[in-house]
Amino acid sequence: MAVVEYSQLMQDVFIGFTSITWKMLVMYGIGGLLIWLAIKKQYEPMLLLPIGFGSILVNLPLAIAWEHEGVPGFLHILYDAGIANELFPLLIFIAVGAMIDFGPLFRNPLMIFFGAAAQFGIFATMIIATLLGFDLKTAASIGIIGAADGPTAIYVASKFARDYLAPISVAAYSYMSLVPIIQPPVIRLLTSKQERRIHMALHEKPAPHWLRILFPIVVTMTAGIVAPISVPLVGSLMFGNLIRESGVLERLSQFAQNELAYLVTLLLGITIGGSMLAEKFLNWQTLLILAMGLVAFVFDTAGGVLFAKFVNLFLPHERKINPMIGACGISAFPMSARVIQKMANDEERGNIILMQAIGANVSGQLGSIIAGGLVLALVPLLVK
Amino acid sequence: MENLIEALRNADPAIQAIGVSVGGLLGVFATIAFFFVLIVAADRFGKH
Repeated sequence: MAVVEYSQLMQDVFIGFTSITWKMLVMYGIGGLLIWLAIKKQYEPMLLLPIGFGSILVNLPLAIAWEHEGVPGFLHILYDAGIANELFPLLIFIAVGAMIDFGPLFRNPLMIFFGAAAQFGIFATMIIATLLGFDLKTAASIGIIGAADGPTAIYVASKFARDYLAPISVAAYSYMSLVPIIQPPVIRLLTSKQERRIHMALHEKPAPHWLRILFPIVVTMTAGIVAPISVPLVGSLMFGNLIRESGVLERLSQFAQNELAYLVTLLLGITIGGSMLAEKFLNWQTLLILAMGLVAFVFDTAGGVLFAKFVNLFLPHERKINPMIGACGISAFPMSARVIQKMANDEERGNIILMQAIGANVSGQLGSIIAGGLVLALVPLLVK
Repeated sequence: MENLIEALRNADPAIQAIGVSVGGLLGVFATIAFFFVLIVAADRFGKH
């Protein structure tokens, strides 16, 4: 009896060691990799670091941070409070809205169409995902990685494919941080050197203040009519933008851009990491989702660039668009615009297309939430 | 339209995905086009 009790005692004392599985060890490796990418490579450190740490935390023996003896741990509480009810992505959107300046878009309104064209990757990836055996809702959530917009990806996945939320979020944020690596080869493949050297005239005229105020309101109302289910997404983004553009809420705007953005990003990151339980995360579907996320970004970039080339067929020589601008139609703001400006400068020193690139890039923000909203509206029409 | 949706409901997931893609892309372009018209109209209006 004493031997049995001693053995039980030892088991209790060393339960941390005895309950480690190989899957947990893999997750420590993945968490470590994400932290390394955040610190050493500075890839989206504000998100990848908390996600990496959260993934280690939740996979420690007994997963106390998630749940213990039926009582939710702090990660589970955060998950219920901010992800399960989609609150965190929406708060992030208020912050993002307060950061967006639509001015460059108003000066170059044609750029807005690239925000639509570069959503091609969402839909192409969704089709591929169904061919790989995913159901339509999950495929749609995977496709939304191509929105290049973390909050939209989280929002859609939390509605359609909660089981895959962790890999979808990780893919969305990882590939966003890899835009400087993903986009240039795709662009070079689809454009000639001559096309990449095209100069574009800069329109200096600033947009009237009333348009800057009216725009977020009209966008919200339009989205509410076209796809009512997208209102939380669009509304929160445009609310943040209205705070910025109103000109009378400077402190609120600064708060949204800084404290709110930092706090919610921190909570969002560690909570996503906290949802990466080894048993759920380590499977073939995760690998497929990560692979398809890359496909989505490639198709987005290709869609934008090819659309720009198509538009050029109808434009006079002096008004031709540098097709690299099309790649900025993804929502990775402002990283994509910076990448394209750097490429333009590398092709021909002094070729400045930054403002047009930013115009397309903020359109990508619009396009991605509209695409997300439409997917949310259309998919339930076909599957329950 | 009702018939099309009904047919898609009974279709393969890949066909459903194509349906959503066509609808989604058209929807995105149409909405964006509306914003384009709004911005251009505001610009013209601002000049007068």
